[in-house]
Amino acid sequence: MSTRLAAMILAGGKGTRLQALTRKVAKPAVSYGGKYRIIDFPLSNCANTGITSVGVLTQYESSELNTYVGNGEKWGLNGVRSLTSVLTPKQTEEGSAWYLGTADAIYQNIDWLDRVDPEYVLILSGDHIYSCSYEAMLRTHLQKKADCTISAYPVAIEEASRFGILVPDEEGNIVEFVEKPRHPNSNLASMGIYIFTYKVLRAELIQDAKDPESEHDFGKNIIPKMLREGRRMAVHRYSGYWRDVGTVASLHQANMDLLMSGGDSTNLYTVQGANRIYSEDPFSVPQYIGKKATVRDSLVNQGAIVEGMIDHCVVSGGAIIEEGAICRNCVIMNDAWIRKGSHVENCIVAPRSGTEEGENFNVGGEKIDLLSNSKGRKD
Amino acid sequence: MKDVIGLVDCHTSPQLGELTAHRTLASTSFLGRYAFIDFALSNFCNSGIPVVGVLCRDHQRSLLKHMGNMLSWVNNTKTGRVHIFYNETGILNPAYNSDIANLRVNDWVLYDSEANYVVFCSPHILLNIDLQPVLEEHIARHEECTLVYKEIEDADKSFLDEDVLALDEEGYVESIHKNDGTKAKALVSLEIIVINRTTMAELTRRHQMVDASWGMREMLPYSLQNGLFRIHARRFDGYARCFDSLKHYVDYSFELLDRRLADTLFLPDRPIYTLTHDTPPALYGEDSVVRNSFISNGCLIQGEVQDSIICRNVRIGKKARVRRSIVLSNVAVGDRATLQDVVVDKYAVVTARHEVKGDSENLIYLQQGAIL
Repeated sequence: MSTRLAAMILAGGKGTRLQALTRKVAKPAVSYGGKYRIIDFPLSNCANTGITSVGVLTQYESSELNTYVGNGEKWGLNGVRSLTSVLTPKQTEEGSAWYLGTADAIYQNIDWLDRVDPEYVLILSGDHIYSCSYEAMLRTHLQKKADCTISAYPVAIEEASRFGILVPDEEGNIVEFVEKPRHPNSNLASMGIYIFTYKVLRAELIQDAKDPESEHDFGKNIIPKMLREGRRMAVHRYSGYWRDVGTVASLHQANMDLLMSGGDSTNLYTVQGANRIYSEDPFSVPQYIGKKATVRDSLVNQGAIVEGMIDHCVVSGGAIIEEGAICRNCVIMNDAWIRKGSHVENCIVAPRSGTEEGENFNVGGEKIDLLSNSKGRKD
Repeated sequence: MKDVIGLVDCHTSPQLGELTAHRTLASTSFLGRYAFIDFALSNFCNSGIPVVGVLCRDHQRSLLKHMGNMLSWVNNTKTGRVHIFYNETGILNPAYNSDIANLRVNDWVLYDSEANYVVFCSPHILLNIDLQPVLEEHIARHEECTLVYKEIEDADKSFLDEDVLALDEEGYVESIHKNDGTKAKALVSLEIIVINRTTMAELTRRHQMVDASWGMREMLPYSLQNGLFRIHARRFDGYARCFDSLKHYVDYSFELLDRRLADTLFLPDRPIYTLTHDTPPALYGEDSVVRNSFISNGCLIQGEVQDSIICRNVRIGKKARVRRSIVLSNVAVGDRATLQDVVVDKYAVVTARHEVKGDSENLIYLQQGAIL
């Protein structure tokens, strides 16, 4: 595909509603599914689509994320004709500035895009969980001869006011786009995944940068403006599993969706073929399940030690669940330590967090809670 | 430690029964996610030895597949390198396919490098060792050859046919003979040999004149007897096992289910590196019962697994029972099937309701790709 389609992954967001989980790392670097970080999904999707030029735009708490992305090796994006660049805000002749919005982040990296010289640019969010190839979306973009194609996902109409909502005509051209409408006219939510024809995008970004009124955001400024200007805007309907996990509860639920009891909502085992997800592989021993352990309806990564009971749990590598400990309906992240006789329920245990012996956390609690402290494994 | 070349010597590998009929021991699966050679290569990497050669005797396809781009075990992918050394003529003359003969046809690596020391190790002797102090001692004492050994109490059952050392008062090797299993207590060679490059060159030169079928294990006693050089003995007290039969393969795999013992092999400061396969975490069903087992990523377990080791991408069906068994990668065990005291090789399929039972003395081996 050479540089026909380049990808820009927006990975600078803080994800405030994930509370302590994003205190020290950006949301795309948050752990998911026992083994993965959220950004593994868009990066693996790029790799599986055959995209070779990927820019990852980072800003908030970026050091861990920048290190993780590196040269793209974990996703095979370091081949002879590949380019993976971590693009952080920088000092320039004009001065220095943070990324002011999603559009501004791309604008500040026009030089990078010019060097890559793509025909089309795919704009992605670094914090969405889904497994797909972008080929179908590019086909839609080409067939419609669109200037911009937006991937959209049907949501329940009562939830529609949380999203950017698209209204397409019969041919799939977008006629209306409203960010978080009070009275939505459709249930098609923008997934924040766009393909732009680069020439058009480049001109729009330069104009937008000059506009002092603009918030420099794709959903709020660029897309509505392009619609007003009568650009060709197409919708690409996506029907697979897709989650934007904004809160502790939704991150917990997205983890639980991976379990066998989660049905076929998403299953890492069914995406093992062409759309497999790649990730870091720490050099840990295989997981050990102890002599008195009970393991039910769970997903457990290598390097975990389970000597107690886990029921309906997702357990990351390096986590220890000691004998007599009980974990129900929990996401236990890396290097967490659930000590003897303690009991945790309905929660996410943050990385390197844990319980004291005999300590209970959120037992019987109806709300999904977050356990975050420094009682986990230190290394 | 740029002054050192590491060599993984696969020529001395014993057979692990049918398990090594179509693969070399070095690339044989161990404990779910490793191959034996991972331990040797990780020891070199963790000891700061950047250049390593693998002396491959046979079955190089299986070894090359595991080695991949060869860069999974080096600290710096530019200065570090793992080479495969292979003796083409050895195919026609297996009797003469010794490690020294292999090294002779690939001796460019010795000429190319500025290394003054060569370290041999054997993948069938499993241990986690920091070679740096061994080398430092060797260099500080101006030794020509250092051999690492371990004192064991069960030489009548383990390390059979391996080398047993007798030491003199100064800590040098007095004699080397084969372990015939008559004594329980012995000083066994761990086949980690540090030798100066010049000494190695002399040994290689002599080798042609003495007996071309000999390897390092024969040349060392010969050198002692003929006073070519002294061999300094260095003691190692950590976990070390000699994998020389299918029975020992199974016993030593199962003994590591004891976490206290496993913690003496898997050390946080010196991890064991291996190839990544990008498999998802293991998924357990609502009725799964799993106890005292190592489970690898990519497994889907709906039945019962006890006292077992399950490798990557294994499917265990509903109400299936797996006990005291080692199941290698990509095996499928059907619903209500039973495996007890079985070693199942890769890609085998045990269909629903089938029962395969051995006992602890008579293990059953199911070959690669077998369909029951």
